[in-house]
Amino acid sequence: MFSQLWQKHNLHTEDLISGKTPFILIPNVISKSTCASLSEKIFKNYKTIPGPGMKNKIGTSLGSHIYEKSKYFLNSKKSNTYTQNIFSDSHSPLKSMHQIISQTFQKQISTASENEMSYSECVIRIHNDRDSVHLHRDNCNFEMPDYTVSKYKNQLSAILYLQSPESGGELTVYDKQWNRYDERSRQPDFGYSFDLVNGVSYTSISPIVGNLVLLNPNFYHKVESVSGHKPRVSVGFFFGESSTSKLSCWT
Amino acid sequence: MADIIWGTVTKVISINAFEMNVSHQKDTNNDSYQDVEEIYFTEVDIPSIPADEASRNVSDIEQNLKDKFVKCEISGRNSENRLVCVVSHSGAGGY
Repeated sequence: MFSQLWQKHNLHTEDLISGKTPFILIPNVISKSTCASLSEKIFKNYKTIPGPGMKNKIGTSLGSHIYEKSKYFLNSKKSNTYTQNIFSDSHSPLKSMHQIISQTFQKQISTASENEMSYSECVIRIHNDRDSVHLHRDNCNFEMPDYTVSKYKNQLSAILYLQSPESGGELTVYDKQWNRYDERSRQPDFGYSFDLVNGVSYTSISPIVGNLVLLNPNFYHKVESVSGHKPRVSVGFFFGESSTSKLSCWT
Repeated sequence: MADIIWGTVTKVISINAFEMNVSHQKDTNNDSYQDVEEIYFTEVDIPSIPADEASRNVSDIEQNLKDKFVKCEISGRNSENRLVCVVSHSGAGGY
């Protein structure tokens, strides 16, 4: 049953990669007090830009620059400086995420680079009242062949929740993986028709502060609408095997 | 404003033509279009496809367009009944 998914911090990473299980939930990666101070710092400093399917994010992502490679790397440099500044004199959630992933997969992890230019190392997503993200899947193998990271194998995503909303904002993961023929059900701006997941079982993951989700992003997923004045805040990136012993991450 | 349709590329016919399944049509289009249309593209806003036709081959076009979801801005029909379009990829399925 999809509702009995593997949810333990264990070494069943092969199940995640193969799609036998769509996600692994690792609780309490960083403390609630650290998350609170990070969120406070983000709100004091943040300048957000719209992203695909959402209104507010800090950081650059490939989805906004599918065919603007030089602009992507220019913006990555800026956004990496910005996020490093946010996390500079406090606990870095990225460091914690990298450590956990490195331990879990038994591989080194670092930010991807191409021609000595660094990819964007993370995106901080801020969902305000009534914000949601439409049904989608993430797969740069198919959509972004101009980027080196599109060649990396076994691509996964990591999401750490820094602030929970008053209600809503769950990550809904459907028990259905994307295949290229699903492109026929694309929406012009972003994501896919809900017809693709009609009747498909799903699991809802609450955005609990300090929890890390490792997701196989080839499974269809969406973010439910947030309710209340307290925004949902998460930090995330994608990662994949750049070699047999190394993982590289990007957004 | 030009009519716009969206859909997936099902077959590459030549270095400047393909067949597509039309899944979306702009609400304010002046004409309506068939579920399957042949597209003749005059411009392609996809950097990995060379603007210069002499530098293209069908294999490259297939690699870049086959099964992809594209946006076609229509300027008319040619003598082969193909829609004459500017073609670009449309949005993102994710990310």
